Amino acid sequence: MVTIALAGNPNCGKTSLFNALTGARQHVGNWPGVTVERRAGTFRFEKGEEGTVVDLPGTYSLSARSEDERIAASYLSEPEVDVIVNVVDATNLERNLYLSTQLLELKKPMILVLNMADEARAQGLELDLETMRTLIGGPVVTTVASTGEGLEALKAAVLEVAPGTSAPMMPHVNYGLDIEGQVAKLEQEIARDEKLATAMPPRRLALRLLEGAPDALELVERSHASKAIQARLESSLSFLDDHLGADAPTLLAEYRYGFARGLVKESVKRGETPALDRSSRMDRVLTHRFWGFPIFLAVMVAVYSLTFVVGAYPQDWIGSAFDWLQRIASSHLPEGELSSLLANGIIPGVGSVVVFLPVIMILMGCIAFLEDSGYMARAAFIMDRLMHKMGLHGKSFISLIMGMGCNAPAIQATRTIEAKSDRFITILVNPLISCSARLPVYILFAGAFFSPFHGALVIVGMHVLGFALAIIMGKVLRLTIFRQEQAPFVMELPPYRMPLLRTTVLHMWEKGGIFLKKAGTVIFAGATLIWFLSHYPGIGDKSLQAQYHLQQEQIKAKHLPEAEEKAALDDLDFARQGAVMNQSFAARFGKVVQPVFRPILDPEHKRPDAWKDGVALTAGFVAKEIVVGTLGVLHQAREESDTKGQLSPLQQSLHNDSGLTPLTALAFMIFTLIYTPCLGTVAIIRKETQSWGWTGFSVGYGLVLAWVLSWLVVVLGRVFGFA
Amino acid sequence: MSTLRLSDLRAGDRAKVTRIEAEPSIRQRLQEMGLTRGESLTVEKMAPLGDPMELLVRSYHLSLRREEGACIFVEKEG
Repeated sequence: MVTIALAGNPNCGKTSLFNALTGARQHVGNWPGVTVERRAGTFRFEKGEEGTVVDLPGTYSLSARSEDERIAASYLSEPEVDVIVNVVDATNLERNLYLSTQLLELKKPMILVLNMADEARAQGLELDLETMRTLIGGPVVTTVASTGEGLEALKAAVLEVAPGTSAPMMPHVNYGLDIEGQVAKLEQEIARDEKLATAMPPRRLALRLLEGAPDALELVERSHASKAIQARLESSLSFLDDHLGADAPTLLAEYRYGFARGLVKESVKRGETPALDRSSRMDRVLTHRFWGFPIFLAVMVAVYSLTFVVGAYPQDWIGSAFDWLQRIASSHLPEGELSSLLANGIIPGVGSVVVFLPVIMILMGCIAFLEDSGYMARAAFIMDRLMHKMGLHGKSFISLIMGMGCNAPAIQATRTIEAKSDRFITILVNPLISCSARLPVYILFAGAFFSPFHGALVIVGMHVLGFALAIIMGKVLRLTIFRQEQAPFVMELPPYRMPLLRTTVLHMWEKGGIFLKKAGTVIFAGATLIWFLSHYPGIGDKSLQAQYHLQQEQIKAKHLPEAEEKAALDDLDFARQGAVMNQSFAARFGKVVQPVFRPILDPEHKRPDAWKDGVALTAGFVAKEIVVGTLGVLHQAREESDTKGQLSPLQQSLHNDSGLTPLTALAFMIFTLIYTPCLGTVAIIRKETQSWGWTGFSVGYGLVLAWVLSWLVVVLGRVFGFA
Repeated sequence: MSTLRLSDLRAGDRAKVTRIEAEPSIRQRLQEMGLTRGESLTVEKMAPLGDPMELLVRSYHLSLRREEGACIFVEKEG
């Protein structure tokens, strides 16, 4: 079976071409050990046999400096790659062909694909494929990914050059007499070590050495001929410096661009071109000095509303479906531990994650649309000044804003940030942004302890605090852990293009699937564990159970009206839950960790109920809104949303009996804001960083920061006379 | 030798790259993006907050922070 690899610049339409080739026969995973997506799929030749196609990350060069480039360079050198398909944007040939000059050095059969041929034609470009073929030494085809034009020609070209056919002459860039002389001498030294010569084509290795590439130097280091090669390299470098007045990397880049420009000159005829291309015209408005900002904010508002306002409808439907499931489970299953696990553990736990699915898919669709249309780069262009001050990247802004809805998709959205350090900082500070799941906790406490006006201020204040902390932590991380890795901001502003519906939908589908799989499994486990901790050993207690049944019978014996009986039974059930919870492992755990929370939630050490906070916060690790429900069960008072201006029973209980004061309630809210990302987000952080270390770090610093900050608030509050 | 830096230019200015003074990895990255010696470029605009800047080079649009622009020495044209 033939394996082809798609290589090309970002924004050349590579992924659309990949989708057009494979359709649904594709699989998205990760390259081993890194966070870069690996797309592989199969396609069919005309005669029916199958081929494999791998879509490489888009890169501007093969220098192997970034993770993307390292992956592309090393995978292309693998023997499993039979044919390199170099996809280039036909409307932007010169810059795209720079990569081609490096691909030619790999000495593998290569096909040049001029993608977006329709746009090139519309711009009046005439492409002379025959001349190009001669210059590049391999087949050249034109394609249009959206219509499938040229796909059959591409497949035919693959068969034409696939191994087993007579290998075509591969031309290469001629670097001029002086450099070529040094390359030949280096190649001679490299040839002394056969292993070395098979690891990388000697010519490419020689050029990589001249460029000072760390991976090439390392490769040589391990060779038995390393001394001779290094000596040769040193004298070559000084020879070039002396004779050509510039260092080798500069000279090589110039020759490569010279080749690219020459090829374009020979084979492309420019017809009548409009004075100003469409993208520049659009940018006159979209990145305008005054209008750029308001337009960008409007786009943000639109994306946010579409995601979290429109998305709230399907979210509600799913929520109701899970409520229904829960009722069915608790009323139809025989009473016992299993039904409790289902009704009080798994169903609400998994439900709390699945409800976010529509939101995630819509947001991912929007992000993909912004990215593929070219606007994302403009958004980064507009926001970079501000974000750079915080140690972040222009593209981080969108992720942070979307974190206000839900941190999990917001973290998935960081995929568009190229540099690893920018991306990781954005991921690590994202959980500090107050997501919508934390709102019920604020509403509960703000309502119970503050006047409506002050309560509103406190809730807004929580969101502001989240942003402020994200900014500060971003700066701190940049100045400490990621100090060495400041990536230069060199970003293409690609032409505006209408994204393909298929690409956007596929992307939504994929991200939704990843979220369900990753967050779903973790939540399933987490919900089960939390249920176990908060129900055992009480739920298995026979005497408690007998007592409960007796009381049930007593209520039924009264023959009350149906509604009254139901209410009485509900109350009894609620009381039983409380009794079970009170003697549970979670309660014991709450009492064990109580001293840890004492300075922030019980500074005067006179709250008998303080252990309940620890239990609620622990349960909130699964999903933060669970804090509210858990407090309700523990305090034996329900939280009701429709209270007509009155405090809900839970709010009354917290206010009157829990011993919390406005100050400690504020500390509780701050702690809830900061402490550890929820389990679903943790799963996504693990997925996006591919590292348990960073995931643990994210949880750990959240806990520490939450404690320290709440403590500071309580201490300072008491100094200033608040209680 | 020219002492004018890319970051000193204003929107609408045309210039030719003369040399890049930056650590090797950044210099190579800029060269790979097409900013080689002798290459002409146009400063299209500054971002609304004054940074980064947008260039037209090798007939595509590239944005750079002024920080990177300060490493690129240019000679003004026409």
